[in-house]
Amino acid sequence: MMRTRSISLRLAIMFGLATALVSLIASVGLFMQQSAEFSRHSREELHGRYIIIARMAASNEGHGGWRRLTGKLADFEATDRGLHFVTDSRNPSFRFGTSLLAQAQFARANNGHDTIDFGGRTYSTFAGTIPAKQQRPETRLIIALDQEPLHQARRTLALGIIGTSLLTIIAVSGLGWWIARRGLEPADRLSTHAQRLGEGDLALRLPTDGLPSELEGLVLSFNDALGRLHQSHQKLSDFNADVAHELRTPLTNLIGETELALARERSRDELARVLRSNLEDLNRLRTIINDMLFLARADAGGIVSNLVLVDLAAECKRTTEFMEVLFEESETTVSIEGQATCCIERALFGRALANLLDNAIRHGAAKGPVLVRVETLDDEVAVSVTNSGPPIPESALPRIFDRFYCADPSRRSDGHTHGLGLAIVKAVARMHGGGVSAVNGVDNVTIGFTIARRIGVGAYQPARSGAQDAPSEVLLRGLSGKRHLARNGQRPARRLFDISHFHLRRKRASP
Amino acid sequence: MKILIVEDEPKTRDYLRKGLSEEGWIAEVASTGPEGLYLAQTGMYDAVILDVMLPGLDGFGLLQQLRKDCATPVIMLTARDQVDDRVRGLRGGADDYLVKPFSFLELLARLDLMVRRHQPQTTADLQIGDLHIDFIARRVTRQARRLSLTAKEFALLEVLARRRSHIVSKTAIAELVWDINFDTNTNVVEVAVKRLRAKLEQPGEEKLLHTVRGMGYTLEPRGEAVAE
Repeated sequence: MMRTRSISLRLAIMFGLATALVSLIASVGLFMQQSAEFSRHSREELHGRYIIIARMAASNEGHGGWRRLTGKLADFEATDRGLHFVTDSRNPSFRFGTSLLAQAQFARANNGHDTIDFGGRTYSTFAGTIPAKQQRPETRLIIALDQEPLHQARRTLALGIIGTSLLTIIAVSGLGWWIARRGLEPADRLSTHAQRLGEGDLALRLPTDGLPSELEGLVLSFNDALGRLHQSHQKLSDFNADVAHELRTPLTNLIGETELALARERSRDELARVLRSNLEDLNRLRTIINDMLFLARADAGGIVSNLVLVDLAAECKRTTEFMEVLFEESETTVSIEGQATCCIERALFGRALANLLDNAIRHGAAKGPVLVRVETLDDEVAVSVTNSGPPIPESALPRIFDRFYCADPSRRSDGHTHGLGLAIVKAVARMHGGGVSAVNGVDNVTIGFTIARRIGVGAYQPARSGAQDAPSEVLLRGLSGKRHLARNGQRPARRLFDISHFHLRRKRASP
Repeated sequence: MKILIVEDEPKTRDYLRKGLSEEGWIAEVASTGPEGLYLAQTGMYDAVILDVMLPGLDGFGLLQQLRKDCATPVIMLTARDQVDDRVRGLRGGADDYLVKPFSFLELLARLDLMVRRHQPQTTADLQIGDLHIDFIARRVTRQARRLSLTAKEFALLEVLARRRSHIVSKTAIAELVWDINFDTNTNVVEVAVKRLRAKLEQPGEEKLLHTVRGMGYTLEPRGEAVAE
């Protein structure tokens, strides 16, 4: 079974079958044509002999001449055993030939060509009437030619054709197999190379030189795919190392401090200090784990589900107001320009924007203004944050949205960030069907994200205008019926943290 | 106030009971679904903390049975935070849910909200040490000194004052003061508290606003003076 998977063998079999079909058609045609030609030739020969004999017979008018004629005919029959002559007449003395043949239906038969079976053989016959002349009455002359040699010739022809065809099929199949093997040699070489790939060195690629054009595209694409795999493997390795670092550091602190605290008698104050320190590390762990789970689910194709139609400028205002004290601390002014409405999950949007604003405050020039811009594009809305300050190095620009990426490693772990802020912005954008961008200006940096406008079509629950809390109410009503709202018309229970409620849905990985 | 904790993980169950008892709740526990259901139906509780993964009868099943004749507020605990689970819990009649790992303070804040919803209590003014807050006039005075607070600073003080002597976490503050219900790794709350504290506590005055490291903030007189 496995053998038929070989392309060479399959090609050979297909060549063989094709040849068989072609030779069948050719052989049948040739045989029919040759066979008809044999028959025609045989009839012409019969007719020719009849004309000669008939002419000789027609000139005979007496018994003497007739006897000489029949003598000759007997001689002919003796030399060519397949040939028989029969004459039939009212006068018995003008009769000649094999009695059984004579008994045959010749008397009643029509003149001309016919075929009869006699004595287990087939004869081709020609019959004609020789007009009466003097003593000789009208006489029928029949010449019968045994068809056996003709059949023999046909059999020989058929055998020849079959033999030739078989030899041709075998030859073509064999040649086909050889040609296929030769033709597929580059593929064999590739497969040998491919077997060596991945043995510890992900940088290896398939050779592209000397490849036939048919395989070149495949190999180039394959090499590209290998390149992407290599890159993502590399990223994953880096990511694992970063995660290990981010998680191990607080764990080490926790274990060490706890062990140290328990090693001797400690005062109440000392133990309380250790517990407080531990709590800080535990909260740090919780934040990292929650953020990583959030990113993992975004990677797995999570998309937003609790979409509400909102005025984005108002959402931006809400978030900037929240961060107002930070702007005041850094003596930075923040302004919002532009206008757009879009369906978003408010908590996710706020989280992304807060991360961008935090990034702007952290990395922007001191006292430099920060601008939040909301724009409506063709099928997206864009939200960007511009802070004045030195540009991000061009080499770092494409990587700032990577997890744990830090252009300046010395700034890592300052207590508040763990390098996932912009990665979360990217995840939020992707969950909203959008993307991210980072652009250097002359003296400023703009980092932003987009949201697909179509994402909310048919999915959003419109908020009542002017009511800040309306979307949450709508959300909760959607979840649990009217119970929450029925209670004295009070605000429903609000979730205090963990904003990541969204469907886990498999989505086509966007390129 | 009486509360039932239905949780099969002994460590979680024990610390919840201990913590809630210390916060003044009468806490009872059940470690299996059927036991929890029996207690919830017969025990006249003010609230139920219900884990989803339980032996015998899971949280959803328990809630379904309970809701046939009982409207006790229920907060569900789940390690699974996918929206389907939440929707299922809320549709099944849960009043709130918490995703593990959660902080004990968040649980307290939610229980507080849940119970307050049943018994709305508003006070027109509060006296904490020598600090006097008039919520209607939005006036804050410390001894004779009138404090000039911004709207957000007043809201922050109100959140802390109404939960006096309780620790209020940063996420709860962000939620209650700014209506921000998402995780931020920013230090907005720290900075805001620092500013409020500067207005609240002049040198020589008693410290009222305390930082509980790793947890949050609490407003109470402890008899410590701010260093000169």
